[in-house]
Amino acid sequence: MRYLAYLLAVLAGAALSFEGAIYAELGNTIGKLETSFYNFFVGSIILTLLWIFFGKGRLSYTLEAPKWTLLGGMLGVVYLTSIVVSVPFVGVGLSMVSVIIGQLIMSMIIEHYGWLGSIGAKINKEKVFAVISMIIALILVY
Amino acid sequence: MGILMILFTLIGGLTLSTQSAINGTFSRKAGTIETTLLTFLTGTMFLAILILFWGQGNLSAIVEVPNWQLSAVFLGVLFVLFIVIAVPKIGVIATNITVITGQLAIGMIIDHFGWFNSLVIPLDTSRLFAMVFMALAIYFIYKGNVRSNKEAKQFVESPS
Repeated sequence: MRYLAYLLAVLAGAALSFEGAIYAELGNTIGKLETSFYNFFVGSIILTLLWIFFGKGRLSYTLEAPKWTLLGGMLGVVYLTSIVVSVPFVGVGLSMVSVIIGQLIMSMIIEHYGWLGSIGAKINKEKVFAVISMIIALILVY
Repeated sequence: MGILMILFTLIGGLTLSTQSAINGTFSRKAGTIETTLLTFLTGTMFLAILILFWGQGNLSAIVEVPNWQLSAVFLGVLFVLFIVIAVPKIGVIATNITVITGQLAIGMIIDHFGWFNSLVIPLDTSRLFAMVFMALAIYFIYKGNVRSNKEAKQFVESPS
């Protein structure tokens, strides 16, 4: 099951790159904010269908949950809009590098302090090595 | 303008990680599909308001664009869905490093073939070396996580 989680995360990253490249093109035709809106609107429709057929959880938990756990959608809007806006100006490469640096910094901080209900694993030697390897990879790519 | 864009995208990266963490937490009680649905519903509402005030594009042009440009929505849904599954199992850092590897690997392939009207940047030796370092990063993150889990377990078994 752990291996499956890693596999899904790789696929998620691949989806992110395809999405960025494709939406940059769509953004040139219909507008940046409109592209984000399209993604979230049609995404809602697809997910409503998925939920009707396969939803096993409890959507009503939304009303009881702490309010900060409901902010995921708003944060996703910031990410997607930033990509659609910046790709035509600085290119896919540089945009992805900036996103990645942001991701690395934030996930280290979140997990080290166990913020936002995360597992709360301390930063250790191996994780620092991992980040150094990622930075070397980034330098080699661009 | 360029610097401003890079900063904006950096913030995009910060919010992406924060979203992963928040959604991972929410999904433990609400469920995977439910969390993803809520993310998209609230995103839609938020953007509807933004567009009412600042929308300058032409949403109706959507009927004229080629279908492949519209297909990206499935990728967006899959991304959030997969993240919601992975974060509670392997943690925020491991998920993100793995996501990043997928992002860069596919990014390089898109560049190599110049898909989706992007620039053609061939896959050269330095880019191949970069892939090796990324594989190394995943290996380290996996080992680091195994160690954190062991330490956490010891702490539970023998509380001081």
